[in-house]
Amino acid sequence: MDDVKPPARETMSPSRLAQFEAEVTKMRVSGGGANPERTAARVGIGLTVLGFVVAFISWWSAYNAGTFEDIHRAAIFALIGVGMALVGAIIWLRNSLTRYLRYWIIRLVYEQREQTDRLLERRDNGH
Amino acid sequence: MMTNPAFAARTPVLELVAVHAGYGRIDVLHGVDLALHAGEVYALLGPNGAGKSTTLGVASGQIVPSSGGLMLCGRDVTGAAPDALARAGVCVVPEGRGIFPNLTVAENLRMATFTGMRYPDVSARAFTQFPRLRDRRRQMAGTLSGGEQQMLAMARALATDPAVLLVDELSMGLAPIVVDELYDHVRQIAAAGLSILIVEQFVHEILGIADVAGIMLHGRIEHTGSTTELADGLASAYLGGKH
Ligand SMILES: Nc1ncnc2c1ncn2[C@@H]1O[C@H](COP(=O)(O)OP(=O)(O)OP(=O)(O)O)[C@@H](O)[C@H]1O
Ligand SMILES: [Mg+2]
Repeated sequence: MDDVKPPARETMSPSRLAQFEAEVTKMRVSGGGANPERTAARVGIGLTVLGFVVAFISWWSAYNAGTFEDIHRAAIFALIGVGMALVGAIIWLRNSLTRYLRYWIIRLVYEQREQTDRLLERRDNGH
Repeated sequence: MMTNPAFAARTPVLELVAVHAGYGRIDVLHGVDLALHAGEVYALLGPNGAGKSTTLGVASGQIVPSSGGLMLCGRDVTGAAPDALARAGVCVVPEGRGIFPNLTVAENLRMATFTGMRYPDVSARAFTQFPRLRDRRRQMAGTLSGGEQQMLAMARALATDPAVLLVDELSMGLAPIVVDELYDHVRQIAAAGLSILIVEQFVHEILGIADVAGIMLHGRIEHTGSTTELADGLASAYLGGKH
């Protein structure tokens, strides 16, 4: 194209600029490359494992318990462990699933794009 | 060109400061400094694989730099989520075609309502800017011509009323006459005062529109200057420089 200097132009309307500045100031910055979903998925796995460990320890202490009171205490402790494992599993599922679904939908978009391209190519080549 | 007194100090609307970034263990950017001022059109030029798209990725928050920072209006927003940046008004027209081919033109535009705008506003804005899309609004986007697809991608980006527009290789795979038409649109958008960072591999399309240009080689911006200055040094930068 020709190398003419562009005509003098106005700056972005001051209000839009001010609005942008305001939005930027409001923006939450987590900083660094933190990946909240991956972290949450890991926390979920950790919690599940911990829950099982707690349950196992409870079983062990119930096994070696002298009194019914101790066994009851161990049973309650075991319940807490099972609960932890359950919550951990849910956290893991929720976070790994969204990651997977996102990946999947992007794949779909790309596949569709390729398919459309192939279709159009055939049409244009007069098949 | 700077007429806004509030911005007289010329704080750039978007700035990359000593950015190092890459993919996994591969380093692509080795200290990129880039400043885009309000109302400016910045042309980022360079050969294949220089790191231009990666730079745009950092500017839009899709790639988090391993060191260095991204500043908007002087505020450090390194690490902010890309959707937060998009909502604030940093908008990308990606390389290739950033559209959904199996959705209609209208449905593609509807995607721009994520910022909270109403669809009638979005479509009105898009169709006044690109009248050609109005007649094709029920057509599958994948069956549009290459140029029209780029128009749609731009229309969708502009419909969100961005403050900063990042455009990656608008001219890729298109006939020169179509490229000219697209750049006429960019010229109009620029005249409205938007700040634009535009990536191109070849120079000629853009030199008439840009105020500033930077030449990127091997992950660094090796030259910056006004477009007229650069036009002279360009051939040597591409051919002779740094090899
Ligand atoms: N997703 C990725 N994973 C790994 N490496 C990548 C990825 N994307 C780009 N790269 C590498 O980073 C380097 C710079 O790529 P980039 O896309 O930024 O170049 P570019 O200047 O935009 O080139 P082009 O003009 O071809 O678009 C290249 O060497 C490329 O192979
Ligand atoms: Mg690229």
